[in-house]
Amino acid sequence: MAYVSVDRAVKFFTREDGSEMLVLDGVSFDAKEHGITCLLGPSGCGKSTLLNAIAGLEKLDQGGIEFRVSSAERQVMDRKNPKENSEPGTRNPELPGRSPRLGYVFQDPRLLNWKRVEDNLVFAFKGMKIPRESWPGLLEKYLSLVGLLGFRKQYPLYLSGGMRQRVGLARGLAIEPEILLMDEPFSKLDQLTARQLRQDTVEICARLGQTTMLVTHDVEEAAYMGDRIVIFSSRPAHIVEVVENPLEAAKRDLDDFAFIQFKKRLLQTVLKLVEQEGV
Amino acid sequence: MSSLDSITPAEPARQDQAIAVRREADSTSLATNVSFRRARAGARRETVRDVALRVASVIALVSIWWLLSLFFPPSLVPKPWDTFAEVGVIVTSGNFFTEMGATLRRVLVGFGLAMIVSIPLGIFMGTLRSLESFFEPPVILGLTVPGLIWAVLAIMFFGLTETSAYAAIAVTIAPMLAISIWQGTKSIDKDLIDMSKVFHASAWSKVVDVILPQLVSHILAAIRYGLGLAWKVVVVVEMFGFSNGVGYQVVRGFNVFSMKAVLAWTITFLVVMIVIEFGLIGWLERSVTRWRPRVEAWRR
Ligand SMILES: Nc1ncnc2c1ncn2[C@@H]1O[C@H](COP(=O)(O)OP(=O)(O)OP(=O)(O)O)[C@@H](O)[C@H]1O
Ligand SMILES: [Mg+2]
Repeated sequence: MAYVSVDRAVKFFTREDGSEMLVLDGVSFDAKEHGITCLLGPSGCGKSTLLNAIAGLEKLDQGGIEFRVSSAERQVMDRKNPKENSEPGTRNPELPGRSPRLGYVFQDPRLLNWKRVEDNLVFAFKGMKIPRESWPGLLEKYLSLVGLLGFRKQYPLYLSGGMRQRVGLARGLAIEPEILLMDEPFSKLDQLTARQLRQDTVEICARLGQTTMLVTHDVEEAAYMGDRIVIFSSRPAHIVEVVENPLEAAKRDLDDFAFIQFKKRLLQTVLKLVEQEGV
Repeated sequence: MSSLDSITPAEPARQDQAIAVRREADSTSLATNVSFRRARAGARRETVRDVALRVASVIALVSIWWLLSLFFPPSLVPKPWDTFAEVGVIVTSGNFFTEMGATLRRVLVGFGLAMIVSIPLGIFMGTLRSLESFFEPPVILGLTVPGLIWAVLAIMFFGLTETSAYAAIAVTIAPMLAISIWQGTKSIDKDLIDMSKVFHASAWSKVVDVILPQLVSHILAAIRYGLGLAWKVVVVVEMFGFSNGVGYQVVRGFNVFSMKAVLAWTITFLVVMIVIEFGLIGWLERSVTRWRPRVEAWRR
């Protein structure tokens, strides 16, 4: 299916006063193919900016992001040259193949408030050209997954913040993308709901073989969900460490000794980073 | 995450606490129930009060009119009830429907033409910088030209035809509509546009599902204001020599110096306007903004 590689990504933002601010300072890593890659880093370091660049919403100033759609259907998408890739998902016509299907669960839910919950999902189905016959099945499956089947006819402004976040999650999952980007998708949920949804998301990603990138602040979440954990420094962001999860996804158990050990190790790495930077 | 798993064995104390908490919850729910009912009754009282205030305002206006009629001869200020009787005659004679129908048709056609041009123009001006720079001068100029001048120009150009009425109305309100939609388009949420790009929404879907719904309140405000302008222009156009319409009837009243007729036609016209503005457009507004919870709580 799909493979994502971030290669020496550099991104500047222009401040109000016109001065340049370095946000991404040569970020390089490979996302785990068919697995979950967690991006762990302090607030404001540039994690959302990186996901936006991968989704094609921001242009990198240097470096590139490479997509490959299976080894047979090899295709390289390079976002280095803005003219060739002005729209997300467009591709260089000289290269064979197709752009990967990409789903994005935004940090703020970004729902169309004037559309009912189910129509928010249908909006994505239409855009992604998902055949109409499969809409009812997908709606039912993913809305019940996030526990909102009973609210499918409701308008988003009549839902709670956490429920809206779950609609955004359902929309990203329901298009069953090859590459799934998730920006703190469980941050507004209570622990029990978050825990259930983490488990379900891991299962779905494993079943569909998606390449998933998940931004989180939560070390435990990273240890539980991440097959690979990429630790960012504070702004300007570079990669401090890439940790492979020694435990297989199916064997991770929050109360298991091996899991707790791994979580501690991860936490220590993060704490060391905080000490070094003197935050 | 694991805090929920580790329940410590301190049962008795916990139970007491639990009961205490439940009692509290019961009493609060009772309290909210009562205050909810009280709030609903309060809301009803407020609507009654609002209606009463409006009625009082109309009565005050008619009283002032009546007071004035005591000091002026009926040829200048007729008695209110004489005028209302004239309104009755206009309506029952069937005159009202043909004349009002002609005027309404002119307004609606002119308005429709203006909308067809202005909504796309406003959206393009809000999204494309080059078009913004190109169309800004004509739109601003168009806004400053008085409706009366457009009426004169249209009649000189098209003669005394329906076309000149449509054109005068359309040209008068189009700039105002375009400006309102242009400004609205500039303030739409970029994050939602980004979202629609990620999910590969078509250009059509971007406009219909993402952009237009965010412009609804701007468009409605523009319709209200535009209708107000259109009424004024249509009457002026009709005064120039049309043989029907409310404007023509007012001029006829003027020619025989019948203040009663002029006022009676003005009143029927006002009533129709009010029905359209508050009834029709109010209903339209409520039905297209059903997704938005009402925000009335902070007003006094
Ligand atoms: N459009 C923008 N223009 C200018 N600066 C921006 C813009 N977007 C983000 N920034 C800056 O870039 C930095 C990184 O922002 P980003 O949203 O990527 O952080 P983040 O790692 O996702 O943080 P958090 O975990 O709090 O969401 C921030 O310091 C922010 O001020
Ligand atoms: Mg972020």
